[in-house]
Amino acid sequence: MALDFESVEAVKLVKLFGATRALGGVSLRFEAGQITVIEGHNGSGKSTLVSILGQLAQPTRGEVIYGKLHRRRHAAALRARMGILAHAPMLYPDLTARENLLFYARLFDLPNRTSVVDAQCERFQIGRFADRPVRTYSRGQLQRVALARALMHEPRLLLLDEPSTGLDVLGVERLEKAILEERDRGVIGVLVTHDSDFADRVADRRVRLERGRVIENEDSSPPVGPYATPASPTP
Amino acid sequence: MSVWKAALLVAEKDLRIEMRTREITTTTALFAVLVVVLASLSFYLDRGTARQLAPGVLWISVAFAGVLAMGRSWSREREHDAMRGLLSSPIPRAGIYHGKLISTLLFLSVVEILLVPLIGVLFHLDLFDVLGRVVLILFLGTLGFCAAGTLFAVMTVRTAARDLAISVALFPLVAPALLAGVVAMRELLDGATFESSLGWIRILLAFDILFLIGGTLLFEPLTSD
Repeated sequence: MALDFESVEAVKLVKLFGATRALGGVSLRFEAGQITVIEGHNGSGKSTLVSILGQLAQPTRGEVIYGKLHRRRHAAALRARMGILAHAPMLYPDLTARENLLFYARLFDLPNRTSVVDAQCERFQIGRFADRPVRTYSRGQLQRVALARALMHEPRLLLLDEPSTGLDVLGVERLEKAILEERDRGVIGVLVTHDSDFADRVADRRVRLERGRVIENEDSSPPVGPYATPASPTP
Repeated sequence: MSVWKAALLVAEKDLRIEMRTREITTTTALFAVLVVVLASLSFYLDRGTARQLAPGVLWISVAFAGVLAMGRSWSREREHDAMRGLLSSPIPRAGIYHGKLISTLLFLSVVEILLVPLIGVLFHLDLFDVLGRVVLILFLGTLGFCAAGTLFAVMTVRTAARDLAISVALFPLVAPALLAGVVAMRELLDGATFESSLGWIRILLAFDILFLIGGTLLFEPLTSD
């Protein structure tokens, strides 16, 4: 059975790039069924935090614990439970959308790959252009395929790094709908964005970073869906 | 997933893209053929000097074609940040290294299949009797070149002056493989026996093993910030 976890905890994360301190002791806990929006100015450490959570960067000090699982010991199995969506779609422009999705389905060793890809094409309305090379796509079409790529393996941890950049209103709405659907499924969502309207609509919790430190940590609502904490009985 | 299975997946993806665009094989083959033709027109005097010159010309064209192939192959991983997608997948990261190595080796092999007979014709060399040993030396040298080059190329994925970095830093690194390849082939064309070439072949083999192990172990730390 695949490994699973229902929380991610960053413990005193420090990240140095030479003499520059990107993160200066960040400790945060992320829960299933909750979208946490990370805000802050450019250079505040938001993307570095997401890269460390997604195992794309190593912290200089500190640790990330996925449920009870250690990052180093279960690295590959943990990556199998993560989905990353950023401004760049992480697709091969000379392959079609279907070929890109099948390639990722094989990387994630998914069973019934063809039907999984077909289901994603239907979910994000990719079918009409799925057999054209990605190079010919508009920004909105690219983002739809990127969403399918990031979500096709039903990740537990969804990392979103400026995913709405360059999208039109319809594209942002589609992205918002997908994020909220994933939250209801029980995903641990971490979203970095400068778009405060978009953040208002999807955030369950907001964290503000400044110079690599947490300066605000505001929990606006508890986790939703099957991961919600049961409410206390009213007397 | 095993490193081997992951490597085949990555290599198959590269081959699929190449079959569609034919960009790497066309540009590198044209460039390598041009080098060989120009060298034969400029330096050919007689069959005796040709035997001395041909190995150098062959390896120079392979080395330059290899730099071109590696640069283009890795630029495909930079475009749309596809490399980040590969790194975020659960495959062993050494599989990415070996996959890129296999695809580059195949691209260069296509170029070499064109180059060897062309050099035979233009330099008036009878390669038929020594073809097996030429292929062995060429394979071992190219494997070492690709093993070192792929490891180095990944370090340049995020470097602005990446093409300059590959050209300037790669050649000193692969110099032992290139030198051993040139001398082994020159001695072979001069009529040396297989036994007398064994020393150079062992050097090529040692270079290959060193960089294959190095690439397997170092790829992951090199791809993490």
